Amino acid sequence: MSLCQNRLQEERKQWRRDHPFGFVAKPKRAPQGGLDLKNWECAIPGKANTLWEGGLFKIDLIFPDEYPTKPPKCKFTPALFHPNVYPSGTVCLSILNEEEGWRPAITIKQLLLGIQDLLDDPNPESPAQAEAYNLFKKDRPQYERRVRMAVKENQPN
Amino acid sequence: MATWVSDEGLGARESISEAHILVTELYNPANQRDPTRINEIQTRLQQLQKMKDAWAIADSLLQSEHSAQHRFMGALTFTVKINVSWNEINQDSAAEIMQHLINRFVTLVNNGEQAMVVRKLASSLVAIFRHPATPWKQAVWQLAASLAHGGYVSEEQSQGVDFQERILPALSKSGSGALLFFSIALAEEALRLDSDPQDGTGDASATQRAIHNIKDGLLLVQFVLTKTIQHENAAGNDAVDIALAAEAMNSWKTWLGVHGNRQRSLAEDVNTLAVQCGQTVIEILRVPSLSESAASILTQAFETRRWAFDDNSLWLISDILANSIVTAHIAAVGSGDEGAESMSFVDLLIAYVSHLNLDIFSDPLTQQNGAILTLIHGIFKTPGYASIDDLGTPRVLESWNEIAESLPDELEEDSPRYNLVKSHLAEVVLGLSSKLLYPKTEDLEDWGEEERSEFNAFRHEACDYLLSAYPVLGVDLVTVFQRSATSCLETRDWRNFETAMFCIAQLSEAVDENGHADQCLDAIFGSDAFARLCAGGETELPLKARQTLVDSFGKYESYFERHSSLLPGVLNILFKSLNFELCAHAASRSILTLSKSCARVLTSDLPAFLDQLDQFRSKPTATVSTMPKVLEGIATIIQSLPSDQEKVQTLERILGFFVQEANTAREEVTGPAHEFGRLRGHLVLSCIASIGKGLRSESEVIDIELIKEGNPYPPSFWNSGPGAETQRLIMEAMRLLIVDFPVDSSIIEAACDILKAGYTERAGLFVFPPSMTVDFIKSFPLGISGTDVIMATASSFLASHARHAMNIRTEAEALIDHVAQLFSSMLQTPDVYDPETANAGIDFLTRLLPKYYPILFNPVKSNLSAESPLAVLLHFTLHVLTRPEPLPLKSSSAFWVALIDLQGISPEEMNILESVYQEFIPRLCYTIIHQIAGQCARSDLVSLNDALRRTVFKQMALARPALKAALDSLNAQVTDATGQQVPLLSAKDKSRFLESLVIARGGHKQSLDLVRSLWLKCRGMDFDYAQ
Repeated sequence: MSLCQNRLQEERKQWRRDHPFGFVAKPKRAPQGGLDLKNWECAIPGKANTLWEGGLFKIDLIFPDEYPTKPPKCKFTPALFHPNVYPSGTVCLSILNEEEGWRPAITIKQLLLGIQDLLDDPNPESPAQAEAYNLFKKDRPQYERRVRMAVKENQPN
Repeated sequence: MATWVSDEGLGARESISEAHILVTELYNPANQRDPTRINEIQTRLQQLQKMKDAWAIADSLLQSEHSAQHRFMGALTFTVKINVSWNEINQDSAAEIMQHLINRFVTLVNNGEQAMVVRKLASSLVAIFRHPATPWKQAVWQLAASLAHGGYVSEEQSQGVDFQERILPALSKSGSGALLFFSIALAEEALRLDSDPQDGTGDASATQRAIHNIKDGLLLVQFVLTKTIQHENAAGNDAVDIALAAEAMNSWKTWLGVHGNRQRSLAEDVNTLAVQCGQTVIEILRVPSLSESAASILTQAFETRRWAFDDNSLWLISDILANSIVTAHIAAVGSGDEGAESMSFVDLLIAYVSHLNLDIFSDPLTQQNGAILTLIHGIFKTPGYASIDDLGTPRVLESWNEIAESLPDELEEDSPRYNLVKSHLAEVVLGLSSKLLYPKTEDLEDWGEEERSEFNAFRHEACDYLLSAYPVLGVDLVTVFQRSATSCLETRDWRNFETAMFCIAQLSEAVDENGHADQCLDAIFGSDAFARLCAGGETELPLKARQTLVDSFGKYESYFERHSSLLPGVLNILFKSLNFELCAHAASRSILTLSKSCARVLTSDLPAFLDQLDQFRSKPTATVSTMPKVLEGIATIIQSLPSDQEKVQTLERILGFFVQEANTAREEVTGPAHEFGRLRGHLVLSCIASIGKGLRSESEVIDIELIKEGNPYPPSFWNSGPGAETQRLIMEAMRLLIVDFPVDSSIIEAACDILKAGYTERAGLFVFPPSMTVDFIKSFPLGISGTDVIMATASSFLASHARHAMNIRTEAEALIDHVAQLFSSMLQTPDVYDPETANAGIDFLTRLLPKYYPILFNPVKSNLSAESPLAVLLHFTLHVLTRPEPLPLKSSSAFWVALIDLQGISPEEMNILESVYQEFIPRLCYTIIHQIAGQCARSDLVSLNDALRRTVFKQMALARPALKAALDSLNAQVTDATGQQVPLLSAKDKSRFLESLVIARGGHKQSLDLVRSLWLKCRGMDFDYAQ
């Protein structure tokens, strides 16, 4: 088994044993029912006592063959209204960037917690979508309204 | 006293005396309510502990007969002083301190000292052990020999006496306990040093020396635990020293950590000993007073040190799990007779099963494992709700999930073992059924938010198991829930019906698209009982069951597409469900998806849906999150009506209502209810936009590339025929909510969606006169929030007419002039500079360049005098490149890339382009070079590099001298090693950069590497990520 598959198996086991409450992370299932370890469907709850509380935001983690040397791509599905999320849904975060903060020791749990932190603490230095970024900078009440709408649209089942 | 202790002069005696008084004061009950006094005492004591006399103070306190607290403080003072005097301790003094502390340790133990003091002095011994000058290796052995001897024995002498055969048996009970304290403290320190090698206070030799003690540490564990079992066998449970045995088990776990980190491949004898100790810990499970601690220690070892269990260990543990007091504890958890305190046994059971995974299903199954499987299935029978009252079920489920996931890859299908596992997976499903029942209302009332979330999380975990088991169990799995659903539907057992539908909904992932379970679904959705439900005959359907049912409709989209005859009934339930807040979201989503999938089938039911809509629109659940989806769904069905005439009637009925609502909103915003007015206005425009989306049928979308020259707004049914009134209603609603209505970015966005709805059509309800878009865009002032959406609409508008650009020349010119005016205002009045407008305007220009450049470069307008629109636009883009805002800077870089890539066709166009390049490329080069010379943010380098490399590649002749001039103008200075001011970039640096850039010929990576290096050199290496 490749290093990538081995590591992802281990991540799966670790996640089963211990994961932060309210988060979801599991490999997608292939049409035959087997697991596709390189494609995970995850969900991140909005942090308590923040604007994002109550929402559960679905995000796909796509692992390259070179994982864990290279980071996974993290993509909200559907794309999320947030200054650091590209219109495609891809998250712009330093720990997900091979040339910045990515380290092979970062676990899926740490990644998802990092993205959860980013929700309520956007980084205005690295805007990824104009819409959320402009409202965040210029019209905070409207930004907050839009976030609340995103929370409504992303309720847990 | 020895050389490392200062002479006990007068000063020392005073300090010693003060320390004694302070410790007495520190523990004096009268001072406990005075934090300030306590703080003062502690501060002074800390000062004394660091003084020259601290050795004497420590020793005096340690010998105090006053109280154990004094002696505790003495031991602590030794540790503090060792750390404080770390650099002064040499080989001689280290040996003396060690000898002295060992003697004191032995004396204290022999005097029957309290555990807290002995433990603290054991830490002091470890502190001196850690010192690199300490010549101490077999510390456990030597300390044991000293304890057995009654005083210090040198390491050399101690090695002459057999540790296991002679020293350990000679130890008293208190001696064994004290030795265990030291052994654990040493192991913990070794673990800490191993995981934190950067800790400057230790060194690698301390870790290595500690490793020499693993075997002795384990022998001590084995000795203490064996004695414990012997005592228990001989004199019963009451004779057991619980604390000592618990300490020994803890010691085993800690030494496993030290051994496992590095040493396993090197020391086979220690491996064997570690496994033997583990077996003794397993035996301890039979000792009633220690079984829970043993279970907890073994569970941790299973999770992290699997190598510490061999086949014998596993057999032993299976035997105990299957038939001992442990079995009784687990069975009691399953029957609800024991609570959380017995979870350690369940955890051990799970750790064992997870360890074996599929190996537990041996062929034949051992008697013990058979009993263990029965035990583990029994956990599902624990009374109460999973995750709330019953903590065992969720944990057991995790193991079954792992087994279900690994089965298809590990065992051959239909082999005896495969079928054995399969039967157990099926048994788990049956066991889970009752656990998935949603709480009764009266139970739910007592739950907080956290408990509800916990239970919902368990339900989803359980469904994850069902999905893992599906590849093994197949459609039979769905059949189990279908039977439950149909019978419960018939008997109106809504709670069990909800559970069955919940499971069926979650299984949709496996069976919806492939149709494997269609027969099961037919049995539910084709039943008479379901028909009654659709017809509204079941008024007492509880909210939770309704919510789950609505969710399940959304999850079986493909099934309903294949069974469209069921749709009217299903949509009826969905429309009814819109009235309930809990269901409204899911219902509106399902209405949309099902209407889209099966619009043609549903046209005959349209009148009924419109009636339902009339009822829904006045309900509190009709919000911007639900109503637009419902309207989009209905519009999709309207679009499938055979004639435009039929569409008009229905649309007028809907839109007439929205015009009324727009009027109401307009009245509200001027009064105290202005927030309601804003929300109403937003809802109206969002709904109209959604109608536009719904009417945009895929098959009728035009290909804008195929449109020939002609009228951009030809007469049609919708603008000059019977549909004109319908279109007028939309324009009226827009007018009411835009003109003289408070500016609001949500409303702007919805209005833009309405305009965009017709851009991909040639003659539809939403195809408005081009001037409407232009007037709309021009109506907003500079700096409002939502400019990016407005300008993106302008871009979409131009793109929709790109094929016949000249037909909307007037509108395109008006939009370009509008942007130039905005830019001009921002250039003239820096205070009104708005990054959003800058970004949106430049992005608009970039998008129009490929098709509309002839209008932008109109010879009449495109002279490059300062006032011409073209000059303003270009100046502004360069200005933006000098500013720190990331998005406009990125857009501007992209604009220059597009402009440099542009190729004119006519000689006039080429002339204008050439003059633009001549005039602006030197300025562009100057701006970029100054930015990448450390001025811009690191994240801007990629986009600036794109503009730079494009310029170098396409306009080398202009770029090279311009770049040289720009580089020459960089004159930052730094101070060199001799204190002289020298240029940050030498002439050689600059020319090397330019030459390398030219050689890179626009290559992305090479060019970016050069730019990054230059930026780092100018900004300082501290900014390098690699640092």
